[in-house]
Amino acid sequence: MYISKLILWLFSCFTLFILGYLVWNSFRTKRDVLSNTLGWPKSFTFDGYVDIFRDEHFGIHIWNSVVVLVVTIFIIVALASMVAYGLGRYKFKFKQGVLLYFLVGLMFPVQLGIVPIFLIIKNMGLINSLWSVILILSAGISMPVLLLSNFFAGLPNALAESARLDGAGEWKTFYRIMFPLASPVIVSLCIILSVSVWNQFFVPLVMLQNETVKTIPLAIMKYTSNILMSMDYALVSSVLATIPILILFFIFSERVISGVASGSIKE
Amino acid sequence: MSLRNKPYLWFILPGFILYSLFVIYPIFSAAQLSLFHSNGFGDKAFVGLDNYVELFSNPELKHQFLNALKHNLFLVVLNVGLLIPIQLYFAYIIYTKVKGYRFFQTMIFAPQFITTSVIVFLASLIFDQNIGIFNNLLSEIGLGEYTRNWLGVPGYEMITLFVINAWTGVGFSMIYFVAAMKMLSDEVMEASYLDGAGYWRRFFSVIIPQIRSSIVNIAVISYIASMTLFDFSYLLGGVSGGIDNKMDVMTLFFYRITFGTNGAMGGTVSSNSVGMGTTIACVMFAIIFIVALIQLRLSYRKEEQ
Repeated sequence: MYISKLILWLFSCFTLFILGYLVWNSFRTKRDVLSNTLGWPKSFTFDGYVDIFRDEHFGIHIWNSVVVLVVTIFIIVALASMVAYGLGRYKFKFKQGVLLYFLVGLMFPVQLGIVPIFLIIKNMGLINSLWSVILILSAGISMPVLLLSNFFAGLPNALAESARLDGAGEWKTFYRIMFPLASPVIVSLCIILSVSVWNQFFVPLVMLQNETVKTIPLAIMKYTSNILMSMDYALVSSVLATIPILILFFIFSERVISGVASGSIKE
Repeated sequence: MSLRNKPYLWFILPGFILYSLFVIYPIFSAAQLSLFHSNGFGDKAFVGLDNYVELFSNPELKHQFLNALKHNLFLVVLNVGLLIPIQLYFAYIIYTKVKGYRFFQTMIFAPQFITTSVIVFLASLIFDQNIGIFNNLLSEIGLGEYTRNWLGVPGYEMITLFVINAWTGVGFSMIYFVAAMKMLSDEVMEASYLDGAGYWRRFFSVIIPQIRSSIVNIAVISYIASMTLFDFSYLLGGVSGGIDNKMDVMTLFFYRITFGTNGAMGGTVSSNSVGMGTTIACVMFAIIFIVALIQLRLSYRKEEQ
């Protein structure tokens, strides 16, 4: 028992230590980090942070990542909740078949279809456009559809009936009454999806070649692949990409963890 | 057909179109493209199963493929055989609400939010040959002769990769297991407690058997993830998968064949890049799909009994 606790303490403190070390080093000069790794720094500086925005235009990469994240999540939530509502609320022929069709995607990692996807995107002229990544990631609605269709199927039918008696059409019933009811599930979904979209590496790597459209993970790779040359940028960009998100996570950790748990438990 | 009486069609259609275009169609298209000699630009020639024959008869391709597959299987064994027990163990400690369990679960989950390129950079801050603090510490305490490039110790490349991957991924399934344990009825737990079952006895005889289906689910997900791992191999070893392909994995091999060694748009792409690339993807898919299907089948059969 004491050993178990010790292991968890060590594991947790290790993570804290690495993050602290990263932030600490980001305020040191490149020369200092490289030549005097363990020593007490000679000076502290914010130059890395200033330079990365002024000389490297890192703001563009943050903007790209934010655009991809927001638009993708919006499309997934809109499409998946509509599909799930159609499947969960109505009865029709081949319903099980259609649901199965949407679940097949759970078995197919995006890497396997990337060549045809690349050719489609190329024909659409969207290579080097953020839309390529947004469209490809937005198509991954299998897991959201599964979660939400279970939710909508579980809602009492009387709810929709009373809305209809009040004169609400099918569409209005959906977005005025049913969609708001699903908001706890949707919040959980947004959290899970945000993590995977924000950290997505493979799809942007294939689709985005121009510097100006690269997302944060790709931009960081440019600095970290040659740390002797750009140690300062590597440190600063890593802090910028990591620490704000982690602070948000620490503040809302209970909510996030229970969201992830409730999202995965229904699979 | 009147759409008026079928409102569900309007709800399903938009998602159906996008999903079909980018998820379902590429699967069939990949299967079809694998029968052609093509690089996606010019003419393509139908060659039947020649690409498959070539993949398994060309010594260089066969060697690289089997080498990558071996590494993927190595990751599967470690992730399913070692990481899942660790995740269950952590989950149980957190489930029993030891002091500080909220802190533990937050810290163990936190690496989920760090993007893979930063994780590899963090690893090099610690284990790099020259600037890593681990080597610096070793020399400080007089063990200078043990310093080395810990990220690429010959023969242990895949273990390094696994450790980095495990540190990042341990939290997600752990939370899943904690949630599964919380779903168990309190009565059974109390009964076993009153029966005098000890802390670990309850873990092995009460908890584990009851969350078996969750464990199988995670094992399947973990299997698929291990077979399609890309980021860490690429970031640690570059497009060639490290020195002598020691960190190569199937997705990276596939990426190299399809998009060449200098990135997706240019560089050295063979005249059959798309044909061979999709062939590899289809073989990968077959391996993943069959095993995942068997795993799921077995688990559901057990549950029915």
